[in-house]
Amino acid sequence: MATELEASTKDERLERYAAVAIEVGANVEAGQNVFIGARVEHAPLARALTRAAYKAGARYVDVYYTDQHVRRAMIELGPDEALSYSPPWLIERYESMGGAAMVGTSGDPEPTLLADLDGERVGRARMKEVMQVAMRQMQERSVNWTGIAYPNEGWAEQMFGEPDVERLWEAVAFCTRLDEADPVAAWREHMARLDRRAKALNDLQLDALRYRGPGTELEIGLLERTRFCSALFRTAAGRPYTANLPTEEVFATPDARRAEGVVTSTKPLALLGEIVEKLVLTFEGGRVADVQAEKGAEVVRAQISTDENAVHLGEVALVDGESRVGKTGLTFFDTLFDENATCHIAYGMAIPEGHEGEATGEGINVSTVHTDFMVGGPEVEVDGVTADGRVVPLLREDVWQLPE
Amino acid sequence: MAAAGVARASRAARYAELVVRVGANVQPGQLVDVVARVEHAEIARAVTRAAYEAGARYVDVYYSDQHLRRALIEGAPDDVLSWTPPWLMKRARAVGDERAAVVALTGDAEPDLLADLPGERVGKARMLDLAQENTRQINEQLNNWTVVGVPNEGWASQVFGEPDLERLWRAVEYCVRLDEDDPVAAWRAHVGKIGRRAKLLNDMRIDAIHFRGPGTDLTVGLLPESRWQGVESETALGLPYVANMPTEEVFTTPDARRTEGFVRSTRPLALYGRVVKGLEVRFEGGRIVAVQADEGADVIHGQLASDETAAFLGEIALVDGTSRIGQTGLTFFETLFDENATCHVAYGSAYAEAVEGEPGEGVNVSTVHTDFMVGGPEVDVDAVLQNGDAVPLLRDDVWQLTD
Repeated sequence: MATELEASTKDERLERYAAVAIEVGANVEAGQNVFIGARVEHAPLARALTRAAYKAGARYVDVYYTDQHVRRAMIELGPDEALSYSPPWLIERYESMGGAAMVGTSGDPEPTLLADLDGERVGRARMKEVMQVAMRQMQERSVNWTGIAYPNEGWAEQMFGEPDVERLWEAVAFCTRLDEADPVAAWREHMARLDRRAKALNDLQLDALRYRGPGTELEIGLLERTRFCSALFRTAAGRPYTANLPTEEVFATPDARRAEGVVTSTKPLALLGEIVEKLVLTFEGGRVADVQAEKGAEVVRAQISTDENAVHLGEVALVDGESRVGKTGLTFFDTLFDENATCHIAYGMAIPEGHEGEATGEGINVSTVHTDFMVGGPEVEVDGVTADGRVVPLLREDVWQLPE
Repeated sequence: MAAAGVARASRAARYAELVVRVGANVQPGQLVDVVARVEHAEIARAVTRAAYEAGARYVDVYYSDQHLRRALIEGAPDDVLSWTPPWLMKRARAVGDERAAVVALTGDAEPDLLADLPGERVGKARMLDLAQENTRQINEQLNNWTVVGVPNEGWASQVFGEPDLERLWRAVEYCVRLDEDDPVAAWRAHVGKIGRRAKLLNDMRIDAIHFRGPGTDLTVGLLPESRWQGVESETALGLPYVANMPTEEVFTTPDARRTEGFVRSTRPLALYGRVVKGLEVRFEGGRIVAVQADEGADVIHGQLASDETAAFLGEIALVDGTSRIGQTGLTFFETLFDENATCHVAYGSAYAEAVEGEPGEGVNVSTVHTDFMVGGPEVDVDAVLQNGDAVPLLRDDVWQLTD
């Protein structure tokens, strides 16, 4: 009896989680098609999302299951041409997402599955044309979308050294505010607070951000039309949605031409099936001029050679110690979570919400990659620099310095 | 622990190798389409590896999920139930245009998942355009394809009343000849035996097949162009493949206009997540005019309403008691296996490859094809020749012609 009760409680938690993703995350509108991309191991979540989407009035829910083992077989045994091949039907599927809602799931069940493969081939194994369509849709802001993670044994093992899925679920539930009586209301309040923080930053009219800490001395230029914002986005048609669950960041588009100095990552980065640790990037004239890492440098090197702009920055994001993700004290080895534990920057594509006006233009990076890596923490000081050279402390010992 | 892991990996790899080499007969440079349920991931992965090892250009795995279908049936608007997303149509067309190899995995992990849903909506919830495209590709013999079963706990529970996965694996391995030292050679011998049986039937100039047994008195007319086939098929370009593993049948395309009488199914039929039991069907002038069943008649009704030709026969197949599937004594609740335990007929689409020349009048075209089992030790099967003579084909499940 006890186990049955436990099972039904867990089922109920999964349904609540899916409902938050559909109502607050993607904010599915009645009559919309809903696209879900999930690992085959995420089937229980994909199913719950599908049910929640139909409940919200979805017209049709399309789930595309991917499988890293199939990808591994391709990288290991397939011909060169297979690596970056985009099946035409998948391109059409992505093209059909305009005007639809989308949910992507994360939470790697086998984080080291590709670790023994040739890093260069791993880096090349991406559906380039599909990514281009996805990137264009992001720029056109035609999709209300979100990303959420599915707790599973492999992921739990990576975090805790044992497959304690329940412990991981509790952490995820805390980070996504499922512990609140009314998670939907809690999310509305949280996003309003982040929006106020973004406004305060925009009022300062910053020209650059400075990061200073162990192994880090980096200045990143901002554009006049740089705008800080939270992940509470709106589609071009005006539909609000929360692009990541959890989200704790305020972010902006930097000037892709102005990054100088060295930065050392403060958390491990899970990238294309490998773990990158102690990544050290050197920037010159906005470009990554050198890549070093204790582990996984070759995956980053392969990824930044995907296209000519992958070596420029596309995002800067600020997160303080109030972050629920940060408060868990955990490293999740999943960007969706770890980027929300602390400040991060991303090389590759800029996100159109991070600047005013046209999606593209001078200083705004266009690329088929977008990789966030974590650069903040208690030992890293972050300052804003205004156009007239005034230095404004933003973060000290992980504490937000501006009035809230 | 490690040894068990290795044994398991090699079991999947051995199965996948047979499926890719003998079943689909994947050729170097081919696109390979793998269609699987999410619960089949282990075998889908092994098939992917085997296909790349056979020289596949690209392996595209599409996972479907019955829970999504359940959510669709429960929650989607009416007009979406039988809708085919255009991207899936594009995928299907590419499989035809590029003459891809196709591996379809079957083996229901939750056979009762849809049992409490309205049968009429369950019957309607299939992608019609996609089914039409698949039928076209089969008729034009564009692809080298195979369908194979994937043992899983849910399926094992249905067969044995407990999730005895190991026992199901052994039964499946026996049926697909993986118990042999050289399964590929065993399949070559099997191809020869059933091929000779087909040739003998073709030489007889049969006008009709007559089934007689408890609740059954059915005459199925054949076409002058009907050609019996078994085990091995060929694409239009002459590439051989084995479309079903296991397969024990000789089958042909009947004259869809000439079925008369009544027939009682001799085994349960698993259909769209439901189990149809005690099915009784009456035919007049080739058409199904009455359907009764102890369980699940509504699913058959829903399916027969898919299109106007669904209610006519598209296949007749003969299987004797030497069938490995029959020998297991098991009911697999899975057509791929159960249809090979005994004689069966199918309503819906016919196989063009079982007709000589261009398919003409009497060769049924439909978006459905559902086999149900009508043979067994109590059912006598005769061939009625064009001169009116009756020749016994099966008595007490024993094949009566010289093999």
